[in-house]
Amino acid sequence: MYKLHLILKYLRKRRIAWVSLIAVMLCTTMVLVVISVMGGWLRMFRQSFHGLSGDVLVEADSLAGIPHYQEMIDKIQKLPEVEAAVPTIRTFGLINIANQLRKGVQVLGLPMDQIGKVNKFPESLHRQYQKYIDEGKKPPTPSFGLVPKVPYQLLAPNDKRALERPGMVVGVGVVGIHKDKNGKWVRPDWLYENWAKLTVVQVNPESAVLDLSKSQADTYYWIVDDSSTKVYQYDSQTVYVPFDILQRDLGMDQQQATNPNTGEKVTIPARTSDIQIKVKPGFDLVAVREKVGRIVDEVRKERNIGAYYPITVETWEESQKVWLGAIENEKSLVTFLFGLISIVAIFLIFCIFYMIVVEKTRDIGIIKSVGATSGGVAAIFLGYGTAIGIVGSGLGLLMGYLIVHNINYLHTELGRQLGIVIWNPEVYAFDIIPNTMNPIEVTVILSVAIVASILGALVPAIRAARMNPVESLRWE
Amino acid sequence: MAQTAQQTISPKTEAAIILRAKGLRKSFRMGDTRIEVLKSVDLTIRQGEFIAIEGRSGSGKSTLLHLLGALDEADSGSIEFDGRDISTLGSTARSHLRNTQFGFVFQFYHLLPELNVLENTLLGPMIEYSWLSFRSHRSELRKRAVALLVQLGLEHRLKHKPSQISGGERQRVAIARALMNSPRVLFADEPTGNLDADTGRQIMSVLERLHRESAQTIIMVTHDRSLARQADRTLILKEGKLDRPADSAAPASAATA
Ligand SMILES: Nc1ncnc2c1ncn2[C@@H]1O[C@H](COP(=O)(O)OP(=O)(O)OP(=O)(O)O)[C@@H](O)[C@H]1O
Ligand SMILES: [Mg+2]
Repeated sequence: MYKLHLILKYLRKRRIAWVSLIAVMLCTTMVLVVISVMGGWLRMFRQSFHGLSGDVLVEADSLAGIPHYQEMIDKIQKLPEVEAAVPTIRTFGLINIANQLRKGVQVLGLPMDQIGKVNKFPESLHRQYQKYIDEGKKPPTPSFGLVPKVPYQLLAPNDKRALERPGMVVGVGVVGIHKDKNGKWVRPDWLYENWAKLTVVQVNPESAVLDLSKSQADTYYWIVDDSSTKVYQYDSQTVYVPFDILQRDLGMDQQQATNPNTGEKVTIPARTSDIQIKVKPGFDLVAVREKVGRIVDEVRKERNIGAYYPITVETWEESQKVWLGAIENEKSLVTFLFGLISIVAIFLIFCIFYMIVVEKTRDIGIIKSVGATSGGVAAIFLGYGTAIGIVGSGLGLLMGYLIVHNINYLHTELGRQLGIVIWNPEVYAFDIIPNTMNPIEVTVILSVAIVASILGALVPAIRAARMNPVESLRWE
Repeated sequence: MAQTAQQTISPKTEAAIILRAKGLRKSFRMGDTRIEVLKSVDLTIRQGEFIAIEGRSGSGKSTLLHLLGALDEADSGSIEFDGRDISTLGSTARSHLRNTQFGFVFQFYHLLPELNVLENTLLGPMIEYSWLSFRSHRSELRKRAVALLVQLGLEHRLKHKPSQISGGERQRVAIARALMNSPRVLFADEPTGNLDADTGRQIMSVLERLHRESAQTIIMVTHDRSLARQADRTLILKEGKLDRPADSAAPASAATA
């Protein structure tokens, strides 16, 4: 009884109790914020990179690409584990937007109507996805042939075929779309009324032997949409164009050629640079990768595909292992830091409780002289520690929640008021700081905070319990 | 005078022995040397007696009181309480003894600063009872505590903190706390040592009344001879041993003084 009573009295009346309470609160907040941001970052990393690629990938290891890919796709799609397989092309090019902006970009050729079957790219689109979501409507299947906002032939009166120009999706960073200080996207007015000229260079493995006329292609596009995948690497330097057009411009479509030495007519098959495969839920990606690998080998043998077409088959994790490896390192670093912070927290509580025991030495003697047992005295301090742990970590949770949920706002303010920018999207791959909390992590952190408070109180509690009542009473 | 003293003592010689100490030794280590504070103390106290232990400062009076009250352990010797050897008891049993059988009043009051007067008085039962049984006995315990505090003239100080009341009032709270669990023996270590003469007399009269009206067994330590005279019997602690006072043939009692 006296235990509860004394705990309540101490907790309310002693200033030092508030100090330890605040210490626990700050430690909890600190760990919660660090773990939530780092953990959220790691999760976002995985999700975003996975979101942009299929579960299993067939990748050309050279710019030559993968020949006979359609045959492979047909066979792969027959696998019971596979939901869909879609070809994509990856290359580099130069872009010129209305003579206003010229830069080197990464170019992705996508069959837009199908890409949603293998990854989440469509969800990154502004006009064809995000706008619908914001208005509470169901987004359509995306396409590059979006109805123009302006009559394009007026913009290019000399080009009779202006309306037939294909559409291009640009990464938000390419055209300088950004968020304002309130977190709202700001788009230049001119964006969807402009042409973009994309120049790509052909790389043909057989050009050394075969006479292939053109080696560079310019194509005019209309900008029809913009994409925010949240992966900085993509958003800052990638444009997306229709698969067929990029394939043609790169000379990766089926071609007829003459061997100058033999005069023989040869057909070069159409090629792609990747096949993205979506696996049905519940199947082991590694097993599917094995099966896909066998199909690729089969086609390679049947079609006599030469060694200058190196192809690898990987799961999405394997293909991103440079990034994911970095994530694993980051994770161990976070765990280490977390351990360090916990030790600091325990030590802090220990110091404060030790001070309380010293300060309360005479009180301990008094309650012992009135008949409290050593166990009872220990229970007071342990109960005190538990109470501080529970209340402190509860307040820490509240504060951590507020900080994490407003972290991007706080960061923007910090940048604006003091010029401090901690989150550099070029380094962290994302344009926003992760602001979600994982319930499991929160539970673990709060439990550790409470256990730490009890541990911190344990040694002082044992010391208090062991004190000789007479010597405690003599304490000045 | 000797006659009257004899009369007051004689019925008590027949009363049951409540505390008996034999060959108590206690020493303290101070660096390399040991200070022998109690060398061989023998003592017998009967139920209802009011004993004063007198001695110079540093003679070991407090030490002896702590040993008798099971607050500290002797190096050797035995203490019997109610015919039972308590010097061999474990720490929990000793705690229980202090809680239910003994009451302490100290020179420096020793109240808990965070608790108010009433709560300080209730400390003994708070420790004795579990949370649930304290709640169920709460009103009767409160009544008893308030009654004790009223008897001691503290009815207007129930909600005050120790820092808000005078020294004499604090000592009366300490007495109320010591009496709360109806102790068999009340130990008082220089209860007036920190008070002015008038207030000291008030405290002494409280103890004296307790002894007279409720036959409370009291062992009081003091270095003030005039206070010691108010007890039934005075013992003098000197060089680690207890002695009868030099004028033991005629111990004075307050009633006749
Ligand atoms: N814990 C301790 N460690 C060392 N010495 C001690 C300890 N407790 C008591 N002493 C010594 O024992 C002796 C007796 O102390 P005690 O407090 O019993 O004296 P006292 O008779 O009560 O004195 P006073 O009248 O001043 O209260 C003193 O010399 C004191 O220094
Ligand atoms: Mg003393």
